[in-house]
Amino acid sequence: MNAIGAASSGGATAASDSSTTTKKNSKKPKYSRFTQQELPACKPILTPGLVITTFIVIGIIFIPVGLVSLFASEKVVEIVDRYDDGCVPRNYSNNKLAYIRSKLTDKSCTRTLNIVKPMKSPIYIYYQLDNFYQNHRRYVKSRSDKQLRSKKGESETKLCDPEGVSANGPIVPCGLIAWSLFNDTYKFKVKNKVLEVNKKNIAWKSDKSKKFGSDVYPKNFQSGGLIGGGQLNSSIPLSEQENLIVWMRTAALPTFRKLYGKIEEDLQANQQITVVIQNNYNTYSFGGKKKLVLSTTTWIGGKNDFLGIAYVTVGGLCLFFAISFILLYVVKPRPLGDPSYLSWNRNPAGHLN
Amino acid sequence: MKRYVYINDDEASRQQLYCVNRISNRKYTVLNFLPKNLWEQFSRFMNQYFLLIACLQLWSLITPVNPASTWGPLIFIFAVSATKEAWDDYNRYLSDKKANEKEVWVVRQGIKKHIQAQDIHVGNIVWLRENDEVPCDLVLMGTSDPQGLCYIETSALDGETDLKTRVIPSACMGIDFELLHKIKGLVECPNPDKDIRRFDANLRLFPPFLDNDVCPLTIKNTILQSCYLRNTEWACGVAVYTGNETKLGMSRGIPEPKLTAVDAMIDKLTGAIFVFQIVVVMVLGIAGNVWKDTEARKQWYVQYPDKGPWYELLVIPLRFELLCSIMIPISIKVSLDLVKSLYAKFIDWDNEMIDLETGIPSHATNTAISEDLGQVEYILTDKTGTLTENRMIFRRCCISGIFYGNESGDALKDVELLNAIASSSTHVIHFLTIMAICNTVVPIKSKSGAISYKAQSQDEDALVNAAARLHMVYANKNGNILEIRFHGLIIQYEILETLEFTSDRKRMSVVVKDCQNGKILLLSKGADEAILPCASAGQQTRTFVDAVEQYAQLGLRTLCLAWRELKENEYREWSFMFKEASSTLVDREWRIAEVCQRLEHNLEVLGVTAIEDRLQDGVPETIETLRKAGINFWMLTGDKQNTAIQIALSCNFISPEPKGQLLLIDGKTEDEVCRSLERVLLTMRSTFSQPKDVAFVVDGWALEIALRHHWEAFTELATLSRTAICCRVTPSQKAQLVELLKSCDYRTLAIGDGGNDVRMIQQADIGVGISGREGLQAARAADYSIGKFRFLKRLILVHGRYSYNRTAFLSQYSFYKSLLICFIQIFFSFISGVSGTSLFNSVSLMAYNVFYTSIPVLVSVLDKDLNEETVMQHPQILFYCQAGRLLNPSTFAGWFGRSLFHAIVVFVISINAYAYEKSEMEELSMVALSGCIWLQAFVVALETNSFTKLQHLAIWGNLIAFYIINWMFSALPSSGMYTIMFRLCRQPSYWITVFLIVAAGMGPILALKYFRYTYRPSKINILQQAERRGGPILSLGSIEPLQARTIEEDVSPLSITQPKNRNPVYEPLLSDSPNSTRRSFGSGTPFDFFQSQRLSSYSRNCKDN
Repeated sequence: MNAIGAASSGGATAASDSSTTTKKNSKKPKYSRFTQQELPACKPILTPGLVITTFIVIGIIFIPVGLVSLFASEKVVEIVDRYDDGCVPRNYSNNKLAYIRSKLTDKSCTRTLNIVKPMKSPIYIYYQLDNFYQNHRRYVKSRSDKQLRSKKGESETKLCDPEGVSANGPIVPCGLIAWSLFNDTYKFKVKNKVLEVNKKNIAWKSDKSKKFGSDVYPKNFQSGGLIGGGQLNSSIPLSEQENLIVWMRTAALPTFRKLYGKIEEDLQANQQITVVIQNNYNTYSFGGKKKLVLSTTTWIGGKNDFLGIAYVTVGGLCLFFAISFILLYVVKPRPLGDPSYLSWNRNPAGHLN
Repeated sequence: MKRYVYINDDEASRQQLYCVNRISNRKYTVLNFLPKNLWEQFSRFMNQYFLLIACLQLWSLITPVNPASTWGPLIFIFAVSATKEAWDDYNRYLSDKKANEKEVWVVRQGIKKHIQAQDIHVGNIVWLRENDEVPCDLVLMGTSDPQGLCYIETSALDGETDLKTRVIPSACMGIDFELLHKIKGLVECPNPDKDIRRFDANLRLFPPFLDNDVCPLTIKNTILQSCYLRNTEWACGVAVYTGNETKLGMSRGIPEPKLTAVDAMIDKLTGAIFVFQIVVVMVLGIAGNVWKDTEARKQWYVQYPDKGPWYELLVIPLRFELLCSIMIPISIKVSLDLVKSLYAKFIDWDNEMIDLETGIPSHATNTAISEDLGQVEYILTDKTGTLTENRMIFRRCCISGIFYGNESGDALKDVELLNAIASSSTHVIHFLTIMAICNTVVPIKSKSGAISYKAQSQDEDALVNAAARLHMVYANKNGNILEIRFHGLIIQYEILETLEFTSDRKRMSVVVKDCQNGKILLLSKGADEAILPCASAGQQTRTFVDAVEQYAQLGLRTLCLAWRELKENEYREWSFMFKEASSTLVDREWRIAEVCQRLEHNLEVLGVTAIEDRLQDGVPETIETLRKAGINFWMLTGDKQNTAIQIALSCNFISPEPKGQLLLIDGKTEDEVCRSLERVLLTMRSTFSQPKDVAFVVDGWALEIALRHHWEAFTELATLSRTAICCRVTPSQKAQLVELLKSCDYRTLAIGDGGNDVRMIQQADIGVGISGREGLQAARAADYSIGKFRFLKRLILVHGRYSYNRTAFLSQYSFYKSLLICFIQIFFSFISGVSGTSLFNSVSLMAYNVFYTSIPVLVSVLDKDLNEETVMQHPQILFYCQAGRLLNPSTFAGWFGRSLFHAIVVFVISINAYAYEKSEMEELSMVALSGCIWLQAFVVALETNSFTKLQHLAIWGNLIAFYIINWMFSALPSSGMYTIMFRLCRQPSYWITVFLIVAAGMGPILALKYFRYTYRPSKINILQQAERRGGPILSLGSIEPLQARTIEEDVSPLSITQPKNRNPVYEPLLSDSPNSTRRSFGSGTPFDFFQSQRLSSYSRNCKDN
């Protein structure tokens, strides 16, 4: 016990000595709290109170947020219709590839959708592709932003191979992404009345104004030997070709939805919608699915229960932690910082002399 | 092998046989800087690896990201180290230039000319004036002093601040000032070497200075480069070594860089990660190729060609190699260098480690090894000047059997002695005469008439001063004539020869001629075992042996004084042999020793002096604390066994009986040493489990035998014993012992203050020098220099421990964050067709590694897990550092698991939250990146123990900076992420996702940490809790009440237990040998094991509370 006093007072005298001699000696470093590693610091420790409160607070915040998210997601009305199989005629059902590749076959196909719940406008029309790797390395890099941006960059096709240059010069827009443009089309009818599909403003404004030039027109597109996906009207500048702009925003996952258009009309429950699909796009070679999605939207976006469920789960987990720690604390209280737990204060002989 | 220097021969110097005096310390020239520096940097594995990665990235087919993301940091890192090197080299160039262009006077064609120092040739005669710096190694030819003496200060060479005398060779004695310009001759000297204590050469002058005699030259006749001429009006000498071939130039060299245990561990972990990376790359590469062949060929939109180039199979593995290259963080080297230099700065800045007497702050010369300080296991310490003050005070003496100073403790006040002096008792007079003149002290008379002494040895200084106090004043030295005043009488002696002190001979003698009666006397002083055997056959030395014993018991340093009258012809005969021996070129030292021995016999022993060397302040407490911290102490001293044991007792080095036990290893022959070693070993083994403080004592002779013939047994002994005292050891033995402990994988720290400790200091993992009274030699060679021994406590417990903790966190965290982002990339590759797509863009990747994640962690240099005071009170906590418990494969596995867990959390949550219509590449990548940044901020926050303002600024400021930077990038239309960040920040679902990632990632970590912290706390945690709660930690103190022990205090009886007198209890050996225990620390075995093993040693130290 002496020792502690001696040690601390020793330190104190040393400190005071040093402060008095500081002026005398120029060699000495200037005293500052930083150089002496004595910056005032807050030193929190994981007390039961702090930790349990944190868990309870997180739990209390997360569960309602999760419920709100779930509620928002539930409010979204979503109709999904997979049509890739259904749109192949019976006689081609064993050879879907031949059907889709043939130029002679009739690609149109009529589907009927039931509206289960009323849908408020705007109703978003998406096409969903499954097992389509827009994020494949060969694919995702195969584009030329410079070329898309302005006419000056027309010949910048270095990254676009093998769809960079055609016999007649550089392809605009070049690259595999543009080349594989999705080209199924949908026409909607309700009770024989045509539903207008608005295909304007489906792309990001910033893409239209900055990434896709208004002076860039398609050139030599889909003119080579291999025809990939859709054609482009070469008299419309790229900035107006919104389906292309949407397609060129590559998806990060092999299952993705892209906006096709919007229906700006409310749909009533139990209405039947007839959709005439031009089934042009080949997903049969790799077993990809094609789906047509009609969906409304809320503040959280489309229908996605994940966030809600995850929030409730994490919140529940936190509460669980909190409760178990409280129980542990009650059942097995353990004073913090009990010196008797220091092994060097424990004497194997059982007594401290 | 030899060099012939023709003095003042312009012909010979024009032939340019030897290099000119241009000093060059530069590593590079302007032309070779770039290639040489790059070559040096690329000789490191890490750099080679990064270069390979960077080169691979230039191949656009395989690179997942812009090559700039690796080239940028790589070039930055290279530029930083190259700039540092260039700056250092430029400074060296400037100082060289200054030295080279210094104007000096040199004789050319018989005329004194003023030329630049770099134009000095070997053989030129160089003239120096008072306070001039010596431009190259010179052999003195003449000085202003009629006796041919001059004084030089050698502090730049060996750090010793006292003046040394140098004398011109006898052949040049008496040459006229004018004639010195024309002097011709030949100096025959060895080729340049770096031994600054030896110069075995010969000089022969040519006509007209006809002197056919070969005149021997020693280091005494030289003045070496970088010394200063003092107290001498002028001196001149012939240049023998110039430029980089001088003694100083030869001894310059870049010491081997020391690698810390932490660095070694980081290298090991890096290697492990590298292997892991290769495995991942192989697995993914194969999977990628398989997927490509089975799936990707069907994906028509990818347009895989049917037949690729020959390297097709390699493309995907190489892509993954590049993708995974971030697993090894490129920033770790820079971060570590940065924080290490800051640790060193903290040591330099520390106000509490300033020597208040001299005002010298502590200094870290080696900025790279601070972590090692926290991992020290063995401290090898010198005694004199390190534990003691090296301020010698004459305390007692025994003159012809009569003890003086025993009662009062101070012989200078002993009335009996004063009476004996007053009555001019012959023995006492002789005794005092030897004290006064048998030395190499130079008296300096100041203007006021007071005499001060310049001595190289503190003992001599004490003796001369004591003699002066006893009225035998050494008043003047004029050439070879000494003047002594005794009671107003002036007695003159002429010094005929000085038989110098060497550590082998352990004695020194002078041969003087009494100028009054012409008698020739041999006066000797030295260690008892060097003097007493030379006593004349008739003399009883029993009393002296007793006296030595008695004084040593009190911890005093003893010297025996003896004398003998020489016959004229005996001296003459011997003098001839001595001269011959002094002029040999090979084995001169040995030959001289042999010749000296022929004179030093039949001595009449006059008495014994006892000199006190007080312990430094705080030494016992420091040793006590550090021993509690689990550090083992070895004392290596050149002093006598008894003195060493007494000092050891008084500074808590060993405990007195019955708690402590000393085991002696002795013996003169191989067999004896072997037997005694085995006995000690048996006792050691049997007492290892007992709470006993067992130490072994060995002397230099036995050590030599033990090291040569029983290396293994001695090694085992070394691992078993926590304390050892090695007395009478030579500098090379000290170094050998360090080597021995290092070979057992211990971290060693050597601390010393004198030139004899330099080898040990350089050999040890950490060398600490005390900038003390024996000069700065040790401090210069050391990695750290401190003013007092007690600062060692703070150096190790505060600086070493913090440095280790901080580096452990920083390095593992660097791997964690790199692995985190790398795992996400790997997971992403599974949903991108195993094709090696990078989820993150190049800018984000680069900024993530060098900016977002590096800044917050850098402030961990301010983190303090425990207060300094707490650590000082519980030094045991240092075990965590010593055993490497904060950085080892198992803690690393924890971080690895954490990064895997976090990667899963970030990946799963972001791909599910951003699915379907939101699954846009750029958006998803930014969501995942934000998740990583948020997580890492919270990880740093959770792992930080103390938050200063700077930490808050770095952690939370960095988070804000992340958004600002990304907003800036999002505002650039040309960047890939144009508008992305604005878009995301407006989405509620973005924020919801980010908070979900944080809660899901940190929740379990917090819960686990809390559980461990509360229910399975480490000792550090307990102390933290106790400290922060202000609990009764003070009551834990198990430090013994400090007793102001001094040497004067009665030392409790301690018997050196001779093993043969003991009946050791032969208990069965512990199943775990201590060796395996020690090893197990590093590899991180469970703590319990470590605890139970160590418990005994704790309790041993803490028991007597």
